[in-house]
Amino acid sequence: MSAIILLLISAILVNNFILVQFLGLCPFMGSSNKVETAIGMSAATTFVLTLAAMVSYIVYQYLLVPLDITWLRTISFIVIIAVLVNFTELLLHKTAPLLHKVLGIFLPLITTNCAVLGVALLNINAGNSFIEAAFYGFGAAIGFSLVLVLFAALREKLSLADVPAPFQGASIAMITAALMSLAFMGFVGLV
Amino acid sequence: MTPILTTVFALLIITVVAGVLLGYAANKFRITANPLIDQINTLLPQTQCAQCGYPGCKPYAEAISTGTAINLCPPGGQDTVIQLANLLDLEPAPLAADEAKAQPKIARIREDECIGCTFCIQACPVDAIVGAAQQMHSVIVSECTGCELCEAPCPVDCIDFIEADPEPVPALPEKSLSEQACIRCGLCVDACPVALLPQQLYWFAQGNAYDKALQYRLMDCIECGLCHAVCPSHIPLVQYYKMAKLAIREQDDKQQKAQAVKQRFDYREQRLASEKARQEQRRQARAELAQTSTKQDDLIQAALQRAKAKHPGSS
Repeated sequence: MSAIILLLISAILVNNFILVQFLGLCPFMGSSNKVETAIGMSAATTFVLTLAAMVSYIVYQYLLVPLDITWLRTISFIVIIAVLVNFTELLLHKTAPLLHKVLGIFLPLITTNCAVLGVALLNINAGNSFIEAAFYGFGAAIGFSLVLVLFAALREKLSLADVPAPFQGASIAMITAALMSLAFMGFVGLV
Repeated sequence: MTPILTTVFALLIITVVAGVLLGYAANKFRITANPLIDQINTLLPQTQCAQCGYPGCKPYAEAISTGTAINLCPPGGQDTVIQLANLLDLEPAPLAADEAKAQPKIARIREDECIGCTFCIQACPVDAIVGAAQQMHSVIVSECTGCELCEAPCPVDCIDFIEADPEPVPALPEKSLSEQACIRCGLCVDACPVALLPQQLYWFAQGNAYDKALQYRLMDCIECGLCHAVCPSHIPLVQYYKMAKLAIREQDDKQQKAQAVKQRFDYREQRLASEKARQEQRRQARAELAQTSTKQDDLIQAALQRAKAKHPGSS
């Protein structure tokens, strides 16, 4: 049990996927203009990430390893992720059309969110069990969501602040992201 | 098995399972109605003027939901573009219309020239023209949306479009020489007698983020001026709040007017539909009557025939 909690904390804070490992930066910059959008994006990514970690583990252990074609893992994981994203998109289009419209291209782009593929591959490299893989994926997703929502809240404030002209837009966002990353470096040594 | 075959086999399994799953999901989560359209529709001014190139506000809302540009609505003006951009998280583009069209207008009929043809009454999408055949027509000023749909049908060109009374535009207070940038000292927060956050409200008012300002209870501000008095940067905070409040009220007024116009439009649609239904009913009644009368004729003819057969001598 304590191992699971440790795994979660390490995935959420210490080895945060966005701010420490620099994975999944595309939605981090792209869908963080509004807190509502960021929450929607976080929910969608959490769903995909957790499921992808679990399904890719199953496919790897029970299909690729017995057939001795482990070198096929990247391609098969990408197929799995693409299917899950497609499924999420269908689900969202039905249940939350506004969110579907607002997220726009960033929703299908979860497919190419390197955090998702990263979790699946890291799970295998670390030799995690199924439970560990699932919790690692979930922890990564929670860390992703936490940072995305915090960043979106900061950007909402920034959009109203009197930022000097040369720093407006993307540049102040980059600086904010860098400062957040510095802050998260402080968690090193927690676990 | 060769490695190639194994690979193909493995990928085949994965993709077939995935395909079945997605096919099932696509069927299960089929889209029937899109509630997004209604959300967009409430933001449109409901003038039903078709200046966007669509036959009304609802069709334009449908078009927006599938990705049409949001800046095609001259009656809504720049405000509507910004609201739509906020809803859909897009960049607000400038209004795609010349300035002359962006000015709110209302129709006026030159009444001594009107011949009472009722064409404009039929064209008006919100029933804002009153009059009867061979009688002078007149525009109800408060209901006219300035959509110009009545201009084309008028056979004697007696409809003018005059500019509506311009609404007062709230202007930012002139920056006084003593006003400095906010240093976020928070003195205004301590000073506020109604426990608001003047500094936050200042940012929201300045950035036109009225939703946020309302969330932070801008309307509770009593405009006492204490925050201005304690501000070390001499920012005339109350002026900003007053301006924001004015803008919010104006937005509300506009929305209410749009709602009223929409209601009139809906009533008109209902009326037209019921009129059509009544017409259809009358037509059917007439057809039935004609049929029964031919039946009666047949009966009479048959009786005559019988009478003739009984008394062949008489004619």
